[in-house]
Formats: sequence, structure tokens, C-alpha cells
Amino acid sequence: MRAGGGNDIQWCFSQVKGAVDDDVAEADIISTVEFNHSGELLATGDKGGRVVIFQQEQENKIQSHSRGEYNVYSTFQSHEPEFDYLKSLEIEEKINKIRWLPQKNAAQFLLSTNDKTIKLWKISERDKRPEGYNLKEEDGRYRDPTTVTTLRVPVFRPMDLMVEASPRRIFANAHTYHINSISINSDYETYLSADDLRINLWHLEITDRSFNIVDIKPANMEELTEVITAAEFHPNSCNTFVYSSSKGTIRLCDMRASALCDRHSKLFEEPEDPSNRSFFSEIISSISDVKFSHSGRYMMTRDYLSVKIWDLNMENRPVETYQVHEYLRSKLCSLYENDCIFDKFECCWNGSDSVVMTGSYNNFFRMFDRNTKRDITLEASRENNKPRTVLKPRKVCASGKRKKDEISVDSLDFNKKILHTAWHPKENIIAVATTNNLYIFQDKVN
Amino acid sequence: MECALDAQSLISISLRKIHSSRTQRGGIKLHKNLLVSYVLRNARQLYLSERYAELYRRQQQQQQQQPPHHQHQHLAYAAPGMPASAADFGPLQLGGGGDAEAREPAARHQLHQLHQLHQLHLQQQLHQHQHPAPRGCAAAAGAPAGGAGALSELPGCAALQPPHGAPHRGQPLEPLQPGPAPLPLPLPPAPAALCPRDPRAPAACSAPSAPPGAAPPAATASPPASPAPASSPGFYRGAYPAPSDFGVHCSSQTTVLDLDTHVVTTVENGYLHQDCCASAHCPCCGQGAPGPGLASAAGCKRKYYPGQEEEDDDEEDAGELGAEPPGGAPFAPCKRARFEDFCPDSSPDASNISNLISIFGSGFSGLVSRQPDSSEQPPPLNGQLCAKQALASLGAWTRAIVAF
Repeated sequence: MRAGGGNDIQWCFSQVKGAVDDDVAEADIISTVEFNHSGELLATGDKGGRVVIFQQEQENKIQSHSRGEYNVYSTFQSHEPEFDYLKSLEIEEKINKIRWLPQKNAAQFLLSTNDKTIKLWKISERDKRPEGYNLKEEDGRYRDPTTVTTLRVPVFRPMDLMVEASPRRIFANAHTYHINSISINSDYETYLSADDLRINLWHLEITDRSFNIVDIKPANMEELTEVITAAEFHPNSCNTFVYSSSKGTIRLCDMRASALCDRHSKLFEEPEDPSNRSFFSEIISSISDVKFSHSGRYMMTRDYLSVKIWDLNMENRPVETYQVHEYLRSKLCSLYENDCIFDKFECCWNGSDSVVMTGSYNNFFRMFDRNTKRDITLEASRENNKPRTVLKPRKVCASGKRKKDEISVDSLDFNKKILHTAWHPKENIIAVATTNNLYIFQDKVN
Repeated sequence: MECALDAQSLISISLRKIHSSRTQRGGIKLHKNLLVSYVLRNARQLYLSERYAELYRRQQQQQQQQPPHHQHQHLAYAAPGMPASAADFGPLQLGGGGDAEAREPAARHQLHQLHQLHQLHLQQQLHQHQHPAPRGCAAAAGAPAGGAGALSELPGCAALQPPHGAPHRGQPLEPLQPGPAPLPLPLPPAPAALCPRDPRAPAACSAPSAPPGAAPPAATASPPASPAPASSPGFYRGAYPAPSDFGVHCSSQTTVLDLDTHVVTTVENGYLHQDCCASAHCPCCGQGAPGPGLASAAGCKRKYYPGQEEEDDDEEDAGELGAEPPGGAPFAPCKRARFEDFCPDSSPDASNISNLISIFGSGFSGLVSRQPDSSEQPPPLNGQLCAKQALASLGAWTRAIVAF
């Protein structure tokens, strides 16, 4: 693992996946990105309910770039659109989240979820097939038994690699509201799924029941003031999980305390700055993502304008706050009108927890180095298309004179948003999803 | 990149979002609609505070021109349940005349109204302005102390005696204590730019300088050059007549459909009468004044509300204040015909459901079937009119997802 943060290393373009046209088919919009535990596999989910998995090529020392490229490994339709007849609701097939299970045998397993149903998929390789049947021809036609004169034993022969994805478990009918998160426990046997008002605990083997561990639904829906926006298990403590709310709070719960974890063990909340009050204060304080650090000591939250790092031992305020695009604060009204204010940005840690990354508009994404306190803005664009082209830092000019190479706030393209980013667990390789393209960047190798 | 940051347009935009979310794939998104409802609430609070400022200022001007005994008449007339003449009244004019008995029931009634309608604003206001105990309780007791200048509970004679009201003058009016119900986030202060009307402006402070006899009752409540912190400009700048003062006969209910249990529950709410009438032609309001942003409704046809007309016939005799003729409802024909039953006395459920249905279209057929009357087709959504409606229904929009 290379030392240094987002600014000591130079990020280079590596690959881009997806259609080139500007006309984006809605089904192709990427809705989630996730590396597996080794970083060898990279999964994306889209609005059309498909999962595409990329696999990193084995490193080839002969070639000049030291890290393998990611190529399509498997593509399958995970979820289909459904219709809930009872409520007259259409259930979108959009994949909200993908989470990988750690690898236990030759096959890979991942959980994918849409608004209502979670599925456990097994992805396995087949590179051999039996050949030499007695009663069947190679193309499958049956032979006339009377023409068989000798017998032979079928043998396995190599074939072109085939990757098969099969649904092993379907966890359905447990959520009334829209699922926003799934998180696999460190025991690798259970996982949680969270919707707007409830969190359920599942066992990976059992599909016909789940435990409800958090329920914030008020007796009178009129009294609803907040919803759950994200939830995650602690990476090391299998009894601990957190969930964030639309009010900007994070609750840490201990499942040992009680069966129903409605009472939090810790409540993380930063008092609001009254001078920043506006019509939209509630919206921009809503947390869109929460992620534990790999160490488990910290957690990161993303709200509309900032990224906050919390020490689990300190509840009254975050230890670090990074402004992602503070220049948007004066534009909140327009962003409300065009619905951009509701965009849910995700955030991620690098493998050593020293740098955090999140997306922004105009296909910009931002990295914050926690040690050097420096930050950088980069752009995911096909213009920097050549492999190993070093990305140039970008700068947004909030007001006043615009320097050369700066871009003014009003010229930002709010349709080009980076909501989903992922960082390789071990290397400085990042996957950045624009609307319908997946960019892979790596640090410069000399 | 600029957009109109005025309350009225924000309310329209928000309602449009809620309406369109019904037809989006995947069903209603609870989170997004919850956030939109917060914006609605914030915008409405600003809108109301602006309205009150306007009304209050207008009423103050009136008071200055009228002799005190005349005001007493008004006070005597303005019994609870008859806010018709209260439209432009300062808070002190409501609740009856000078005698205690008239005051008490009025006070209690007004207090109830205020409780219902101001739950939201209390905590925040109290925290920010660090003012003493809630007016409501103090007011109900009839005690002038406690800064109850805003309330109708103060006796009219006290209102006319600025010296008695002196302690209150320095205090901006505030809404009452919250009720016990849990609430969404408390009222946020608007950035100064959003609240153009400052009750601490000189115009509002002209009252104290008037001769005692003619002093407008609101003088007691006006905060002249109040040292309220500039850093916390509130939606309620004080010196406004409490919205509930007008809302006596406009209380209604909100109906909520629970997605889990499919239970329909109905919750009491209060309506801002002034706004539900929303035009100069409201028969109930007497001299209902179109507030800012209502000019846009001028082009809408009005429906005649025979029911309300009858009820308010007596009030029209108040004369001086009832200058406007009863003109029928502010709701345009594209609203459901249901609105003829809008008078809450007759069928609060139906009216509110019709509110919801007309806003959300036909998706709530389940609700409709429970109300045999509410069987008309929902009208096409009119963002402007729905804005009026939203403004009228103080309580309904303070909550999160109603009927989701």
C-alpha cells in the first residue's frame, strides 16, 4: 500500500466503461459501485436492474503499467420490475446497493437489493465441460443406440471461461418502505437491511424470516419527523451498527442491549449553526451516506454540502469536517427547483483510512487527505482519455473574478453528477461512476 | 441560476413536487416528500409572518383613526367563534370586550386555537428570543404580565392604556407554548433577506406615540426598536396578530393513510382562516385583506359559499369592518366541488380529504370510498390554488407526509 494521500499521488486515467453517446438510456444509469474484499472484482448496478462485474487482469510484469485492467467478468439481470397489486405500486428494478461477501471458496457471493427485495447471488466460473458422451453427439443430439459400437468414458475438457450467476437466496417481503442500505456483519453470517423507517436483521441462510431491530415509525404517521437514510455494521464488532437519519443524526446501536434497538447507545449530532439557517436547512443536513473506517475507530457521513468524520468516542461533534462544494450554499433554491438538492452522494475511505473521497457536480469528485489537510478536485471526463494521463486538478470559482482554468459556479453542469465512488481496499485504484459511465483511475506508476 | 426565493413560489414548487411524486415510478418516496414538507412548512411560516405583518400594520393604521369606544364595540362584538371582524384586528381586539366573563371563554377558546396552531414555533422561538413564559398561559390568566401583548386575552381597556402595556411593548410578540405533541423541527429563523417586513420598523412603532385614548390596542404588543437579536431574525418578528385569532371556525382535520396497516386516522388541525379565505371576498373575514402573493388569485373565479354566507350574516353588521361584500370562496372552480362543504362544522373529514385528494389526485381512492360524499373526480392540479390551500391549512402541512 502506497503511503501518502490524495495529493501526494498523482491520479491517472486508466479506463472508462459504458456507452459514449450523450443520450443516456435510463436503464444504463449506474446506481451503485462496489469493490470486493480483495479488490479483484468491481461490481456495478444500474437502474435497469442489471449487475455488471469487472475483474482485474492478473498483473503482468512485462507490461509498463503495473496494475491490471478491469474487464467485464459477468453480467446478469439481478432484479426485474415488479408490481405490488395490493398497493398499486410499481417496484423499481433499480439496484440500490451491492455488497460483497468475503470469499470462502471458488465462487463469489454478493448481495444486491432494489427497493423491496434482497438477493444473494453466487457467481461461479466454469472453464471445463464434459465431452465424449456415448449417447449424445457433441451438439447434444441423441445418437441412435444401435450405432454405438464402443463405449468411452466422458472426460472434462477445457472450454472458454463461462461465468454464471445464479440467485441462491431471495429475501423478500420484509420491507414496507424503500430499502436504502444493506450491510454484511463481520460474522459473515448475518446482514442488515434498512428502509426509511425500519432495519431488519437477516441470516444469510434463512429467507423466510428476519428480525426487526430498529423501528422508528411513529404511532401516528403525522408525527413523522425523520427517516433512516443509511445503516452499516461495524467492521469489527458484530454487535454494533449505526444508522443515519434525515435530520443529520447518527445513532450507534448495540444489539446486545436489547432485541429492539430503538434506544441508541450513542447519538452523534452536531448542533446546527443558526447563522446558516434557510428554507432548505433540513434538506441539506440530511445524511445521504455513512461509512465506517476500515479500522472501525471512525465513521464518515455525507450530507449535501459536506463530509464529516466522527470519532466513535465523541458524540457531540465531528472531529473533521470537509466542505465539498460550499459554493452551492447560495444556490440552494435553484437546486431545490431542479431537484438536485435531493441527490444522495456517497463517500468512501481509502484502504488506510487516510484519504476520503466523494462526488460532486460537473463530473467532479473530491478527495480530502486527513493527514495533510489538503484536498483536490478532479474531473471524470472522456477528454482525459489516454491511459496514464495525469488528471489535472480542477477549481471552481465561487464568485468574483474567475481565474484561468477555473470554472464558475454558474457553468457547472448539474446533470453530470458523481454520486457513487469506490476505492480499492488495498491499492490506489478508484472507480468513479458518472451518470452512465464507469471511470477507473489509478495512481501514477513510475 | 437565480430563482425566486419567495414563500409563495416555494410553496407552489413544493406542492408540485409532492404531486408529481405520486406518479413517479417506484411509488412515493417517503424521504424526499418529508424533506419537501419541511420546505413547505418553512415557506409557509415566512409567508404567514409576512401576511401578519401586513395585516397588523394595516390594522394599526385603522386603529389610529378610530375612537376608543368604537373599538370597544368591536371588541364586544368579536366574540369567540366569530372572527369575521377579527381579520384585521390586533390580537387584543379579539376575545370580547372589557368584561371578564366575555374575556374568559374567549381567552380559553383563543388559547386553544393558539395551542393547536403554534405548536411548531414555540420551542425555537423561546430558545432564540429567550423570552419569558409562554403567553398563552399568562394570557389565559388574564395577566398582562408575561408579555402577552400579542394575545387576544388582554382586556381591551388594557389595550388602550399604553402605560399598562409598557412592559410588553418592548417585547416582540411570540407564539404560544407548544402542545404536547411531538413536532418537526422548530421554526427556523429566516435569513434577513427573506423577511422584508420588520415589525421593528418605525411604522409599527407609531402606536405608542398616539394619544392613550386612541392608541391602537396593538400598541401593547408592538416592539418598538426592540433589541431583539439581529442574529436571529425570526419568521415571526412579533407584533403580529396570532394566526389562530382568525382561525376559529376554520379548524379542520387531517387524514392520514398508514402504508403499513392501511388505517386511516384523522387528526385535529387548525386552519388559518385568513388564508383559507384568502381573498378580499371572504364572507367570513369582513375586511379580508389580500396579503402579498394573493394578487395572483385575483383572476380566479370565486365560488359562492352559501353556508358561510349565512353564518356570517350577523357579523356583517359589524359594519365598519365588514366593508367587503361576501364574495364567495377563494377557491376556483377547478377545485373539487367538495369545497362547498368546506365549513368544518358540517364535515371536517370530507373537507380535508377533499383538500388532500384535490392535491394528490385520484390516488387516494381508498380514502374517497370511506367518505360517501367525496366521490367527485379530482380536479387538475392547479399549483397556484393549491398554494392557497396549503396556506389555509396550517396544521396539515406542518407535518410530514400526510396521507402517505
